Amino acid sequence: MPELLPFLKDLLSLPGLSSYEEPVAKAIRTHWAPLVDEVGLSRLGSLHGLRKGTAKSPRPALMICTHMDAIGLMVTGITSGGFLHITQVGGVDPRVLPGQLVEVHASGEGGTKILPGVVAQPPGRLLPPELDDGPVPLEHLLVDTGLPERQVKAVVRVGDLVSFASRPVELAGETIAGHTLDNRASVAALTVCLEELQGRSHAWDLWAVASVQEEVGLIGAQTSAYALQPSLALVVDVTFAKGPGANDWETFPLGKGPTLVMGPNIHPAAHKALKDLADRLEIPYAIEYAPRHTGTDAHATQVAADGIPTALLCIPLRYMHTPVEVVALKDIQRVGRLMAEFTAGLAPDFMDTITWDN
Amino acid sequence: MKRLIQTLTETFSPSGYEGAIRDVIRKEVKPLAAELRVDALGNLIARKGTKGGKRIMIAGHMDEIGLIVNHVDENGFLRFTTIGGIRPHTLTGGRVRFMDGTPGVIGTDFSKDAGRLPAVDQCFIDIGATSAGDCPIKVGDVCAFERPFLDLGKRLVAKSMDDRIGCAVMIETMRALKSSPHEVYFVFSTQEEVGLRGAQTATFGLDPEIGISIDVTLTGDTPKARQMAVSLGRGPAIKIRDGGMLADPRVVDWMIRSAEKARLPYQREVLEGGTTDAKAMQVSRAGVPAGCISIPSRYVHSPSEMVDHDDVQNAVKLLTTMLSKPVEL
Repeated sequence: MPELLPFLKDLLSLPGLSSYEEPVAKAIRTHWAPLVDEVGLSRLGSLHGLRKGTAKSPRPALMICTHMDAIGLMVTGITSGGFLHITQVGGVDPRVLPGQLVEVHASGEGGTKILPGVVAQPPGRLLPPELDDGPVPLEHLLVDTGLPERQVKAVVRVGDLVSFASRPVELAGETIAGHTLDNRASVAALTVCLEELQGRSHAWDLWAVASVQEEVGLIGAQTSAYALQPSLALVVDVTFAKGPGANDWETFPLGKGPTLVMGPNIHPAAHKALKDLADRLEIPYAIEYAPRHTGTDAHATQVAADGIPTALLCIPLRYMHTPVEVVALKDIQRVGRLMAEFTAGLAPDFMDTITWDN
Repeated sequence: MKRLIQTLTETFSPSGYEGAIRDVIRKEVKPLAAELRVDALGNLIARKGTKGGKRIMIAGHMDEIGLIVNHVDENGFLRFTTIGGIRPHTLTGGRVRFMDGTPGVIGTDFSKDAGRLPAVDQCFIDIGATSAGDCPIKVGDVCAFERPFLDLGKRLVAKSMDDRIGCAVMIETMRALKSSPHEVYFVFSTQEEVGLRGAQTATFGLDPEIGISIDVTLTGDTPKARQMAVSLGRGPAIKIRDGGMLADPRVVDWMIRSAEKARLPYQREVLEGGTTDAKAMQVSRAGVPAGCISIPSRYVHSPSEMVDHDDVQNAVKLLTTMLSKPVEL
């Protein structure tokens, strides 16, 4: 996958925290523009790319939704020593924060600039005794920019964003580690899909969506699904891969294909169509059962407007919501190909064949 | 404005039972609105400004937290559950008033450990009845905190400042707003305390292009408070994040630009817990850029919520200046 890797690495090097996705949206837009017929932004900033179908109008439409927002941190205050108090944007695991390199997006005096910083954990003797030796909660962690108090207070303001500074690294075995593989691995997979569709036609319209604010409440998917009201929604996100200490029954092998999720959040016929297609294409997969909320954009698209049949594909990932998430490149490629073939194979009357009896 | 705040906060209207406060607010805004109506969920909607302009929705909730009776025992004691986020430490020794005007006091079951906080189901209301037979209050009757408005000069204290202070800011803004290029909808919303329910449906109905809520936020300026860079008296707070949403950065910028241009004090708010009607507005239909102007408040969800009079007046000025001029986000 030599041609995709640079783009994926670009995606993993950009900030774009929830509600502040503009930098990553721009990069995706540039990459998608030649691959789609139209591209634009939703009212909340989700990216909508349209590839027009060939069936006669009004055509059914497939929406493929991958969220592009990143988890991160936000400044909540500045201590008398000039260190930054922080809170989370999305769900950050505070156990992995001490010692992380971060970037503070300072918006005070002198305009917006990026200050490098480190997350500092005060020594145990300076923490409340009840914290003992356990992990230190976020409210006690601080960011040190190296600047003296007076200068910090001039350039950094409450509400400024703090993003992970680490750059993606290719690990052995065709895997990649970095922050925000959740869910830019899926954005990359959707890009593979758009590339595979070049020069091919499909009956349905295809809306490629890079959604905003998934990590803080599925907000982009909910509103984009309402705006586009597709006939069918396909959501791609990440799931828990097998890793150190992982159990057998809630995790899936890394590099052995995506999971096809089943459960009340998913339309069984759409799920079956994907599964049959994967079998036909000899793309390996695992079945993941989600008995409740899938914790993904699928939960929002299913109940948007008057209801949208939804399917969910997940890319296995290790160390979720840390700056060293790990994904197998092959799985990204497989998901991209599966989506492309699914799109190309949709018959104009596919929705008529979706019934609750199969 | 203090008299208005007193009238609003001394009215009893828990979520779902907003009739009394709606009548009070309707009387205030009737002469100020071009159009006034009540929707299916009881939201009071007042239109002002230029028809055909940008549709901007301002939401402040008129409901308050309260209690609802779920059992009357043979001696006329009332057990209850909560409407909205009422916690037991605000109950013991307190007084309540039912919708029909009946007052009551809150007692607790005996505990050997007098220092232990009772659970809500270990509390009861005593309205002075001697038996179930002579108790006029029935299962399903609702009440709210009884606590008179207190004018401490610069600082004002009352029950239900959350969010009658937002309603007061909206009413005064309607009064101050001489003209607006926008089609502005002031929505005095219902059922915010039980899940932003009035704002959710009002937003769907109005389909605004921008949404702003006016609500209270917490502060970090009391002894041993949780770390938070908001204080009473340093200006209205412009919400960047709360427990339920990230305010739309374009709306945040609009608020900050307006405050700085008008030389109004303001604070940047990052709140850990809680959320406002803006969360419901943001996800309505295809999405609405939404934000919130917050009135810093101490002791939120207690019977003695405290705000700063200058902050309140500056919030009126900020909202008025924002609505007076054209805006492109």
